Amino acid sequence: MALQQVPAVKDLLRKCVRCGKCRSVCPIFKEIKNEGAAPRAHVFLTQLMRDGELGATADVAERASRCLLCKSCSKECPSGIPVDQMVVAMRHHLHDLNNDTTKKLMLNHMFKDRKALGRARFLLQSYQSTGIKSLVQKTGVLGLVSKDLDKANKLIAPVSGTMASKNIPETAPAKGKRKIRVGYFLGCATNMFYPKRARDTVEVLTANNCEVFTPSDLHCCGMPHIANGDAESAAAMTRHNFKIFFDAGVDVIISDCASCSSMLQGDYYDQLFQELPEEIAHFKGKIYDLNKFLIDHVDLNNDLGQLPAVKVTYHDPCHLVKSQGVTKEPRQLLNMVPGVELVEMVGADQCCGGAGTFSMGHYDLSRKILDRKIQAIEDTGAEILTTSCPACSMQLGHGLNEHAMPLTVKHPVEFLAEAYRQAKRSTKIS
Amino acid sequence: MQNEQLVKDLQAILGSAKVLSEKLDLLSYSYDSSFMARNNRFVPDVVITPTSTEEVSKVMKYAFNNNISVTPRGAGSGETCGSLAIQGGIVMDLATWDTIEEIDAENMQVQMRPGVIHAELNKRLAEYGLFFPPDPGSSQMCTVGGMVANNSSGLRAVKYGTTEQYVLGLEVVLPNGEVIVTGGVNCRAIKNVSGLNLTKLFVGSEGTLGIITKIRLRLWPKPKARGILMAVFNDLEQAPQAVLDVYKGGILPSGIEILDSSAIKAVNEYKPDINLPNAEAILLYELDGNPASVKWEGEEVSRIVGLLAANVEWSTDPQRMSELWQGRAVTATAAARVREDGSRIFAGEDISIPLNKVTESLKKIKEIGKKYGIGVVNYGHIGDGNVHTAPVINPEDPEEVKLGAALADEIHLLAIAMGGVTTGEHGVGAVRSQYARKEHGAALDVMQSIKRTLDPKNIMNPGKLLPEEGNKHGTSTSSGS
Repeated sequence: MALQQVPAVKDLLRKCVRCGKCRSVCPIFKEIKNEGAAPRAHVFLTQLMRDGELGATADVAERASRCLLCKSCSKECPSGIPVDQMVVAMRHHLHDLNNDTTKKLMLNHMFKDRKALGRARFLLQSYQSTGIKSLVQKTGVLGLVSKDLDKANKLIAPVSGTMASKNIPETAPAKGKRKIRVGYFLGCATNMFYPKRARDTVEVLTANNCEVFTPSDLHCCGMPHIANGDAESAAAMTRHNFKIFFDAGVDVIISDCASCSSMLQGDYYDQLFQELPEEIAHFKGKIYDLNKFLIDHVDLNNDLGQLPAVKVTYHDPCHLVKSQGVTKEPRQLLNMVPGVELVEMVGADQCCGGAGTFSMGHYDLSRKILDRKIQAIEDTGAEILTTSCPACSMQLGHGLNEHAMPLTVKHPVEFLAEAYRQAKRSTKIS
Repeated sequence: MQNEQLVKDLQAILGSAKVLSEKLDLLSYSYDSSFMARNNRFVPDVVITPTSTEEVSKVMKYAFNNNISVTPRGAGSGETCGSLAIQGGIVMDLATWDTIEEIDAENMQVQMRPGVIHAELNKRLAEYGLFFPPDPGSSQMCTVGGMVANNSSGLRAVKYGTTEQYVLGLEVVLPNGEVIVTGGVNCRAIKNVSGLNLTKLFVGSEGTLGIITKIRLRLWPKPKARGILMAVFNDLEQAPQAVLDVYKGGILPSGIEILDSSAIKAVNEYKPDINLPNAEAILLYELDGNPASVKWEGEEVSRIVGLLAANVEWSTDPQRMSELWQGRAVTATAAARVREDGSRIFAGEDISIPLNKVTESLKKIKEIGKKYGIGVVNYGHIGDGNVHTAPVINPEDPEEVKLGAALADEIHLLAIAMGGVTTGEHGVGAVRSQYARKEHGAALDVMQSIKRTLDPKNIMNPGKLLPEEGNKHGTSTSSGS
């Protein structure tokens, strides 16, 4: 879609009065501190591009890349301007200037479909487990190939075992009487890096009378593509994914990944579709974050075993708190689990600086934002960090590792699953 | 001087990290919130971000010797082009220099550098039970330096006054690079009548006389209690009377705000949950102090206002107060909602009227709006006669832009004709200097001679506050307003 036709640019850009409220909440502005890094500067540059006062140049593309799409500004804008949608529109408009090999590899090959993801996982695991990784890190050879590849090497979490999709049945029956058929959108990152989390998701859902349908041929949700300006691929993948769930006759779609659920709920539909395809319209309002679904739509089984006492803190992913308004539900889940003590960190709802591929392209900037977050986590004295987004998990895991902090990162659902298992064990013993 | 040389020289003074010269950076410093900036591109030649008095002084000496204009800037949240380089040159971004150097709780004073954000300052001061009372709507983003330069105020000026009443002293770098201190920067006395009051000269000078690099403020104890009263009027004329009656009753609220029918409509369209009653006008009174006095004042104001208003609601419940106050807080933004393809413009938006003329001014502004076919949402600080108007136009339609400019001109002239002024708190900048002769008469000549004395080469934020000498029509820049 041409820049001028994007609804946010066409209809809402004129509403910007340049008041600067967006500056006060932007994590990137907080670090860079000059006006060129302010969200309103992005809005202004979008206007200049739309009006032909600025051409599509590498400089403009670089500016447009300096945004986490965290939606802090969009949420706070008094005029209701979705600044992130403008940035996405700009990136799409500037897409041809993106020559980064690493990103192209990831977006065009790794994240296109499940088979490609499986191949990528195999290569990655071989790389990580054979000692090549440590050799590569020591020699710094990747930096010679691509700056971003070197960063990706540091940031990507270790893969172990097999992909979640290999171990999850396409249809997992409800353990009690089936009340609802749930479509589980198993996102690429959970599938590849957090297979236990995926298994726990299915276990908790089935323990609560849900039949869980996890398709084996899903594509990526498209968030990494749209964030990098490739709206066409994102649209094609979105259509493909919804058709699978539509044909399978699920009642709702859930995801344990904040970015996936936010994308599926339609953050960027205006930019992807002139008219909403039938399959997608069918599911409008029926797509949920896992935490929210469990709290609001499931009469949760309270047969929870006592876990060893542990202090945890929770980080709000931007795509949950700012995009979906989900903040109390994950905390409610954690507070339900016997043995878990939830302690709040300062600025729990502030971005961790990950934002998918952003942390590779802007590693130093991302680290500054991450370091503030790590300090806030350390101040709580928590033993485990929880969050509801695998991308945040990866970024935070990297930060904890860099600061030599021995905290693990979990999704709230993992505690719930463990408490159910503990309850079962206790029953057997007694 | 060629830009390339200018950039090189500044890099030699400040180091390259503090000098921004890329095209996209310069473009990002070409705007503020004003209608005038929306219609023009005021791109500086270079932007710098100094963080010490010494750096500022060196730059000013350099600029003075080379006749280069310098425009100081805070967060760029202004509405008058005050921080834009309308004649090019250097923009000095002071927002990065944001150190609170000392909180002297015993003497109830604070000393800081100009880039401190207002809300951040009050957050720090709250730890000591203190606060800096002026309360602009832009609290989350505006800098204290910008507030001092513009003598800004906000919702609570009725009781607490404006910024100038809290500035004990300043450090200022003059246009020639010389550094001076005024008032209480080097002493701790609260009362001080020693010498000419240079502090007051710089407060509100909008960066036309020098660069403010250090600020010492007097602070007040944070009130222990607060309450809000909403009064609903079926007759607009009764609202200002209800303000005067409260004063006559010997009560000074910390804020009295008005929303006219258009503002009420706009708020309800923007945030239906707030659900303000439809009426000709709503007044919101805020009372603060110790709990016993707030309780008594709340009852007394309810009684007085109840004699005129159709309905009165008094609350000290934090949740309800937040809802009521939010109604006022979102008005400025909500204004744009009265028209789908429109945006509110900051033009003619800050007139200040004698208290007994407020009703008349609101009616006349509506008439002016009708004449131009432009919807105008009215709200503001009725407690001190500071009326905010929000014309809503399609700013991308050239015809409407012309009409908007003409409408703003009429609103400004109306304020002067009614014995008021063209700005109560937003400042003059480049957009209102054209009215200076009408507003100040012969005093304008004295202002210009002070400017000439301190800034003989006219390099300090030129084209702002005062019209160019010999130019009877104010600034030569096409204003759009």
